[in-house]
Amino acid sequence: MKKAIRVEHLTFAYPPLIVGETPEPLFHELELNITAGEALTVVGRSGSGKSTLAHILAGLAPRYTGGELTGKVRIGEQDLVAEPPAPTAVGVLFQDAATQLFTSSAEDEVAWGLEAVGAAPAEIGPVVMNALRKFRLLGVNKRPPWALSGGQQKRLALASLWALRPRVWLLDEPLGGLDPIGRAEVLAALAQLRQEGATQLFTTARMERSSWGDAAALLTGSALTAPATWGSWRAQQARLVAAGLLCPAASWTRLEQSARTPDSALALEARNLCYAYPDGPAVLHGLDLRIPQGQFVALIGPNGAGKSTLIRHFNGLLRPTSGSLQIMGKKSRGLAVGELARQVGFLFQRPEQQLFATTVRKELAYGVRQLRLPDVEERVERSLVRFGLTDIADHPPAILSYGSQRAVTLAALAALETPILVLDEPTVGLDGRGWSQLLEWMAERRVIGTTLIVVTHEMSLAARADRVLAVRAGHIVADGLPDVVLAHFGKQA
Amino acid sequence: MGLILDFYRPGRSWLHRLDPRVKLWGMVLGLLLAFLLPSTGAQALFFLAILLLLRGNGIPWNALHWLWRQIRFLCLLILFLQPFFTPSGETLVALGLLRLTLGGVNHALGLTLRVLTMSFLTGGLLFTTEQRQLVRAFVHLGVPYTWGLTLSLTLRFLPAISSLLGTVREAQAARGWVAEGNLFRRAREYLPVLVAVTIGTLRMGDQLTLALAARGLGTASKRTTWRDIAMRPADWRALVGVSVAFLAVMGLLR
Repeated sequence: MKKAIRVEHLTFAYPPLIVGETPEPLFHELELNITAGEALTVVGRSGSGKSTLAHILAGLAPRYTGGELTGKVRIGEQDLVAEPPAPTAVGVLFQDAATQLFTSSAEDEVAWGLEAVGAAPAEIGPVVMNALRKFRLLGVNKRPPWALSGGQQKRLALASLWALRPRVWLLDEPLGGLDPIGRAEVLAALAQLRQEGATQLFTTARMERSSWGDAAALLTGSALTAPATWGSWRAQQARLVAAGLLCPAASWTRLEQSARTPDSALALEARNLCYAYPDGPAVLHGLDLRIPQGQFVALIGPNGAGKSTLIRHFNGLLRPTSGSLQIMGKKSRGLAVGELARQVGFLFQRPEQQLFATTVRKELAYGVRQLRLPDVEERVERSLVRFGLTDIADHPPAILSYGSQRAVTLAALAALETPILVLDEPTVGLDGRGWSQLLEWMAERRVIGTTLIVVTHEMSLAARADRVLAVRAGHIVADGLPDVVLAHFGKQA
Repeated sequence: MGLILDFYRPGRSWLHRLDPRVKLWGMVLGLLLAFLLPSTGAQALFFLAILLLLRGNGIPWNALHWLWRQIRFLCLLILFLQPFFTPSGETLVALGLLRLTLGGVNHALGLTLRVLTMSFLTGGLLFTTEQRQLVRAFVHLGVPYTWGLTLSLTLRFLPAISSLLGTVREAQAARGWVAEGNLFRRAREYLPVLVAVTIGTLRMGDQLTLALAARGLGTASKRTTWRDIAMRPADWRALVGVSVAFLAVMGLLR
């Protein structure tokens, strides 16, 4: 059989962060073979080098990233060490597809690559339209990429790669951060590519959901295991948990067992809450909501439904245009964001955009000091231990992997020990170990009566809540027990 | 924080369809005129004309409002400080050494109008011109493709950086960050935000490098062009029109 990807004795290290240091190699003697037309999933923890592997196979690393590479890397017959592959040979979908789109309309995005490789102008138009049709984007062809939904952005990135007809596709966590509809859309597109005989390498940080492709290999300890079928991996739960690729069942159980009867006092009460962005349309249309202290509430709904707008009211980042909101019995209108921050801890998406301190320890202490809370050292220490950050407490957070940065933002939030926690998509990009830490922490907080409000696209998490709210087009369309709400809205959320 | 992530506002108006080279030329003449118009009244009229031009070509109020918000601080600064530095004519109020004069106020008004006119002229080009067209215009004017691309990418990513600033500020505010007190204190308080934004911007730049390389920037010996821009008779007429109008105003001013 013809090999589409052949990697032999690959050793790779990024340039050292401190001049003169010898960096630890990310890969050591890594071997990888994929036959043409085959699909392989690489499962690796956050920070294990999945994106780097994709970048090496796309000829981007070390060419544009720096670093030392030894060994052989071939795509088909081409030696990538000597020469980068043409975009007509390899297509790479970035983990954050939004960062790979840079023009100002969907059709320009698809045309750009064709122009770059010198396609005849008369041929470009039909290919662009074909690609947009194939990935079901014809209706949004003039729309700027940043105005598309997460699923559409991934499909647009795929369309602009497909236009160049690569034989090898490198798909870096293609389902990350998508709502169930977006996930289904992207999976359908990938299935189509497989039918056309494309070779695919697919990466993921978690074992659970991702039974994609013919086989899977684990990226652990700077090398890849031999590929094995999904069935055989599922039989090795303990190994996967130990490798941090699967969230142990015990963590789920602890979250389930942490359920308690909520207090009669209210954590939050919204009455006829309306919100419209300045110069923009109305986003929330008269929401009524009462959340008792100690309740675990999951918010579900498609992207753009107004979930993020709603929860931004809970810590005062947004104030209702009309209607009222009370937090722990006080009107939110009169409270400054700083005062609210003592009551409401807020976890934002995109941890990489929030970190600034020179060490993880300082990052954790920042909020505690700003809010003038007591026992700074003890709180920081507890948080470091809780999220397994003790070893990297003196590292600068900006250079950590996504998963570790997520852990740092969670730990910084945990150190504030607020009675209400609002978590916006906390599971995005987490590996098995990250999931486990998150679930255990939520369980701990739930036991001591913390109110948990979690926006999520993960139905497995929403199913463990006391109550699920389905939000759509700025209205709460369902509010009740998880079984009931998820049966109706789980698939579209 | 608005939801604008790109300057371009899609539309099919006359200004949208006009060849970007003509728009560039019109902008250059407009900027010149903003400098050369002598009286505050004429400046005001010119600014009004630009506003009408933009509104008449389907640029929504919220886009103009957004632009105003970006420059209002500068405008107010000029309006309130400049009069004291250029005293002339009748004194309106005297505060010790500082004199607020009619001439000073008039001068500051003129200067503010100039800044407004220049910003809205530039806005008129960016709001109505797609990135692709702008790059093509530069290339046709003899600028190398990569330079044109760099310029348009900068314009494309400026709003993205401003949105990043908004996100970072929100995240820090949720941890009790406040910027208050005197200017020095505030500058220090801003440090966490600036560091996070700088790191984010550098990261964005790195990703963009990879994205461009992965899509084959510089692979072909000659880049081709889908839907190139071309001057239509209407564009030539507009080109002549703005040039004649400019010369006519110049003639009147002599």
